[in-house]
Amino acid sequence: MGVNSAPVAGLTPAAISERIESRELSRRCAILPEDVVRKVFRYGATAGRRIEQHARLDRCMDRLQDLVVEAERRGEALASGTVVMAAELGRGSGRFDRRWYAPPGGLWLAMAWADTLLPDFARLLPLAAGIACCETVRSYGIDAAIKWVNDIHVRGRKVCGILCQTVSAPGSGDRYHLIGIGINCNNKTFPAELRDTAVSMRDLLGRSLDLSQFALDLLVALAWNFGLVHFQEECELAAGGYPDKPESPVVAAWRQLSDTMGRQVVYGYDVRRRPLYRAAVLDIDHDGGLVMALEDGRRITEYSGEILYLDGKPSPAPHLHAVTPARIEGL
Amino acid sequence: MSQQEIHFDEVISRYRSDPYDYVDIHAIHAGLVHFKAAEGTEVQAESGEWQHIPGTPLYEITRERNLKVVTARTNGIVSFLNTALDGKFVEAGEKLMTIRHPLKKKEIIESILQEVLSLFLAPERARYYFAMDVQSRIDQKGLRSVFINPGDEVITMSLMKRDTPVYYAGDPGIIHSVYFKPGDSVNHGEPLFGVCAEDKLPLIQKIITRVKAEWE
Repeated sequence: MGVNSAPVAGLTPAAISERIESRELSRRCAILPEDVVRKVFRYGATAGRRIEQHARLDRCMDRLQDLVVEAERRGEALASGTVVMAAELGRGSGRFDRRWYAPPGGLWLAMAWADTLLPDFARLLPLAAGIACCETVRSYGIDAAIKWVNDIHVRGRKVCGILCQTVSAPGSGDRYHLIGIGINCNNKTFPAELRDTAVSMRDLLGRSLDLSQFALDLLVALAWNFGLVHFQEECELAAGGYPDKPESPVVAAWRQLSDTMGRQVVYGYDVRRRPLYRAAVLDIDHDGGLVMALEDGRRITEYSGEILYLDGKPSPAPHLHAVTPARIEGL
Repeated sequence: MSQQEIHFDEVISRYRSDPYDYVDIHAIHAGLVHFKAAEGTEVQAESGEWQHIPGTPLYEITRERNLKVVTARTNGIVSFLNTALDGKFVEAGEKLMTIRHPLKKKEIIESILQEVLSLFLAPERARYYFAMDVQSRIDQKGLRSVFINPGDEVITMSLMKRDTPVYYAGDPGIIHSVYFKPGDSVNHGEPLFGVCAEDKLPLIQKIITRVKAEWE
């Protein structure tokens, strides 16, 4: 498949590295020790190592899977952090058979991340992707929040969707986590069925965004937050996996950007089609599980599925810079 | 047990003379143990529509001021208790007690079948679904008509909104028994389904018929 004209100009691995060195290191070092910041970014450095841009694709996730197979045919492994982007998608989709409307103006991408994490830590990647997207949207002055697991919304209207799948190369069995991200940036219109539930950053800001700068910001945020998952793994393994682990920096960052805590929700695996039960959200546990109180007062923790908010409580304004030195150093 | 030569009389008399499963309970990690159940205590498994009502407390274990209460996941009677360990520091995995679980006819059939079928185990604690193609074949043709081959995508494992296709790696055969409902949370290592070769189906049916006929 030929690579078409780049929808996002100036987005290169070198530009990501330059952004980290020129802006992100100093910003993160204002909160955390420099050696920690550098280590986290080293872990996440492969994000956007290779970027393939297309004017149009059916689905970025499909193209990424093709790249996994093509690399294997050459006797290679796909570079971790490979990103596929398209200016528009013909068959964008979310989980199940949900359609994702992806016209020109939005940021539509998928990133492959080699499965080198232990399962207990790999489960944090969907949270880390949500944090990266939410941080990036919020850095443009938009009051976005995360709904468990990783839906990014602004007062109930979805601005960003994330799709995570784990795939294996057919021959070698090498596993990759594929993270599909769709962000309504400069889209001007939505189909009638989405007008009440989706919103674009352009509508919220009243102006268009520089898509290349936004994409750069997002990839840097992905580098940081995915790096943080690896850093947490390193710290916890070094500590010997004791049960009274300090708070996970990934979960702490998620908690501060989320408006899920305390909400009345309905839970289900496919909650729109098959809602299972109502509950009140109490907390998120160390592994990212959603701790809820059922109507009879009993507690239940879910590690999969999705929720809908039942109450109309507006999003609080979560704090930026959610990961504090105490949380990192406590590891 | 050989898949071809199952000695029915021997197997059935084994279950007749001792129709129980003996579930050993081990320390989940190192720590100071205090028992919460005595020998002879009847214990109940977790229950509730979402399995959210904890079972009977079995023991407490404390490490680094972190106390955990471990509860029963199977019902039965505490048939053995290592009382010497009460109030002592134990290592992870040390056997603490045994629960004698009374088997129902259906459980006995399943227990025998699990010795004969090739079991496909859950790779992680997660929620599980059949792959869409397999589910639609089950819906159309019924469970015991679905043939799977190595490399077929059979299961979707869902964890933290991350879906992972799981591929079948055993011998070709028919999905005979399913041990989960789509969307169930299944623990690592527990069986998801059992597969049998087509030519073994008569043997499997014979087991079921024989146990049903001979078990009261």
